[in-house]
Amino acid sequence: MEALEHIPHELNTLGAFRPLLLSDEGLEKVGTVATVQAALVQGGMTAVETFCQIPPDSSIQVVNRIAALYRQLGCDSLIAVGGGSVIDTAKGVGMVLSQAGHDLLDAAGAEVLPRGEHVPFVAVPTTAGTGSEATLVAVVNNPETKVKMEFLSYHLLPDVAVLDPRMTETLPPRITASTGFDALVHAIEAATCLQRNPVSDSFAEKAMGQLARALPIVVRSGKDRKARMVMANGSLLAGAAFSNSMVGLVHAIGHALGGVCRVAHGDAMTILLPAVMKYNLDTCRERYGELLLYLAGPEIYAETPAGQRAERTIAFLTDLRQELSDLTGLPTTLTATGKVKKEDFDAVARTALNDGAIIVNPAQADYEDILAILEEVWA
Amino acid sequence: MAKGSIKMCMQCATCSLVSTCLFRALKYLSQADSRVRAEAKNWPKGKSLKLEIPGARGFTVTGTDQGFQKLPQDAEGDVTIRFKSPADAFRVFTGQISVAQAYAQHKFVLKGNMGIAMPFVRCVDLAEAYLFPAILAKRILKRLPKKEVSSARVYGAVLFGGKLKCPHTTNSSSPQKSSPAWRPLSTSPTN
Repeated sequence: MEALEHIPHELNTLGAFRPLLLSDEGLEKVGTVATVQAALVQGGMTAVETFCQIPPDSSIQVVNRIAALYRQLGCDSLIAVGGGSVIDTAKGVGMVLSQAGHDLLDAAGAEVLPRGEHVPFVAVPTTAGTGSEATLVAVVNNPETKVKMEFLSYHLLPDVAVLDPRMTETLPPRITASTGFDALVHAIEAATCLQRNPVSDSFAEKAMGQLARALPIVVRSGKDRKARMVMANGSLLAGAAFSNSMVGLVHAIGHALGGVCRVAHGDAMTILLPAVMKYNLDTCRERYGELLLYLAGPEIYAETPAGQRAERTIAFLTDLRQELSDLTGLPTTLTATGKVKKEDFDAVARTALNDGAIIVNPAQADYEDILAILEEVWA
Repeated sequence: MAKGSIKMCMQCATCSLVSTCLFRALKYLSQADSRVRAEAKNWPKGKSLKLEIPGARGFTVTGTDQGFQKLPQDAEGDVTIRFKSPADAFRVFTGQISVAQAYAQHKFVLKGNMGIAMPFVRCVDLAEAYLFPAILAKRILKRLPKKEVSSARVYGAVLFGGKLKCPHTTNSSSPQKSSPAWRPLSTSPTN
């Protein structure tokens, strides 16, 4: 449970002694950054600098700025303390540094980066959601084009993922619910997309069972460290699942909603999942039926006729979402976010069509199909 | 020559041939099919995509208001799709797997902005629906798109290097003059 104190040892074994600590202002205010700093001191290490100006949707410019700071201060490693934005920012910084470059845009693409110089990298997630601590993906916003850009490379994987329930126990119920549902979507899309395989299925099936059971508990009782740890493990497993596979249409539209309308990623996932599952139902009926076992357990799976299991899976997830919404006010429609206008649908649909996740969605989705899904989740 | 080498040479030759056919089909469809035409027209201005196949001839393409245009063979692309081996490209070009399946199976790498590659992938899917027999296209594509022109016309454009007239061209009497996209392939140094 006290994993933070191991960070100095882990960095030393990687040959690193001068880390740059990255986080955001919110975590600095609530004392999470101080907890990590204290744990570093206890292990005999101090961060050369702590950079907490990472915005909720990090950008290419922020990545380039941090890379310049790292060089200026002569740092030799990165510690990222935060959610997806902070960890993905750190991945971007690592990419720029390892390729001896100055602009993250030069590293865009999938599986194309050479290894480059190794930058020791420790990820400390403060949400149980993105799973970014276990993925080969970084999503960084390009403010100029209003597009969230994806970077894929095995060299993006952090060297060490530190899961410590102290990092998530102060997370408000609303954010716990939103980020937790994001993790669940990772597991479900990883288990159903075109790229699924036995390795990703193993991670995804284990993840969804843990997440579906622990999520309502941590939303009700945030200080339950045991349940927080189950969520942290579930999120990491879901990250490993989609890192060995991919995601799908929920993420393609979700990224577009984030880029165009600034809808929080977890909220977009929550809103879209049931509607996209219904859209994919004809193609994924058998697989959705199998997922009922991992999500709802053997009793419900056994009592449900085989032909109805897929619909029951969607109903289970819709009920779970409603339970979380009742507890925390989690939005279940686009209107409830207060950030989307119907006039945005065209831009969202066009952006989603160019998102890499759409290519591995099991069912074909065209412009009109995406518009229809957006209409369905509107109100 | 070893049996494996002969097989690889045949795969490379097939890939070179099919990539030429694919570009010709895309060029023709960017006139004749409204969806491909829209993708070419909305293509990010001045950006290009390079298709690379180890040991075989690929192409570099850009989209314009006049349709898809081929850039010189040695032109660098803003985005590059590079197959990992000729065998990987062969499987896609002979309709054994779709582009989406190839992506899912890590058959190629992508350098550059994925947002530029996606319109190209959609156009290739449409071209495959015209070029492959329906039974094959149905097997590899997630959804069989509706054809706006007959496959015979697309084959004609592929065989005659784009000289075939597009049924949707308004000035059908002199399509070559009205649109640079209709220059015969044989007279263009970039083809």
